[in-house]
Amino acid sequence: MWAARVNEGFLFGDLTPAAVETLKGVPMLIESSDTRVRDRLLPETCEVEEDEEHWRQHAVPELERLFMSRAQLVRRDLDGLRKMPDDTNSVLLVPDEHVNAWLAALNAARLALYALNDMTAEHLDVDGFATALPKQQEAIMRIEMMGEMQAVMLGDYEVEDEGGSFEDFVMD
Amino acid sequence: MARPATKEKTATKTKPKTSLATPWSVIVHDDPVTLQNYVTKVFIKVFGYSVSKANRLMMEVHKSGRSIVWTGAREQAEMYAQKLQAHHLLTSMEKVDV
Repeated sequence: MWAARVNEGFLFGDLTPAAVETLKGVPMLIESSDTRVRDRLLPETCEVEEDEEHWRQHAVPELERLFMSRAQLVRRDLDGLRKMPDDTNSVLLVPDEHVNAWLAALNAARLALYALNDMTAEHLDVDGFATALPKQQEAIMRIEMMGEMQAVMLGDYEVEDEGGSFEDFVMD
Repeated sequence: MARPATKEKTATKTKPKTSLATPWSVIVHDDPVTLQNYVTKVFIKVFGYSVSKANRLMMEVHKSGRSIVWTGAREQAEMYAQKLQAHHLLTSMEKVDV
């Protein structure tokens, strides 16, 4: 995977079919009804039962609506995935106005994968991969790939400013 | 007629005012998945903190496992906790013992 800046936003290219599959899983993970995911994305917030009940009634429904609309936004951007010229790999445009939504969506998906695969913090350490189960190793690779995308959008990496348009990189 | 009404009004106003005045803390807990720079960015965005303050709080979360990132009125604490959870930071709230 490579990343670049174009006029419209961030471009992520050379996305393998596995990477595309990971990204297409993002909205589904956000919308997951699995209790492990919900417990992490909508965690217990107040210790006292009455306060927690108040929180569940007043704050959680709005958060749920936000997550759903974010999942829809990511889904729409993923519908715009295009094949790279002369390649089976794909290229994705994350428009500047969607960067914050993508950062949060990728974070949610990474947290969801962590919760769904019974992972521990050690699994994400340098030596953790070797001790992980195969399904956890797959989750680690997906978590890391999405983390790389987040790092690009957070400005942790210097990316080429191509100065052109998304259309310059793709074929019809 | 007017006097009892005034008295009653004062009595009902006093109770919630006392309850609202109890400060609440917003606490962010460490998680091994969320990127450190993302946490810093969220603190800046949600609270308007300086980069150095946001970084310091992020490091406190990372090293101590949690950090009190804001303290004040309950309503505002709820708003901040909701905004932090909107970005998926592991956030809780608790009443401050005064």
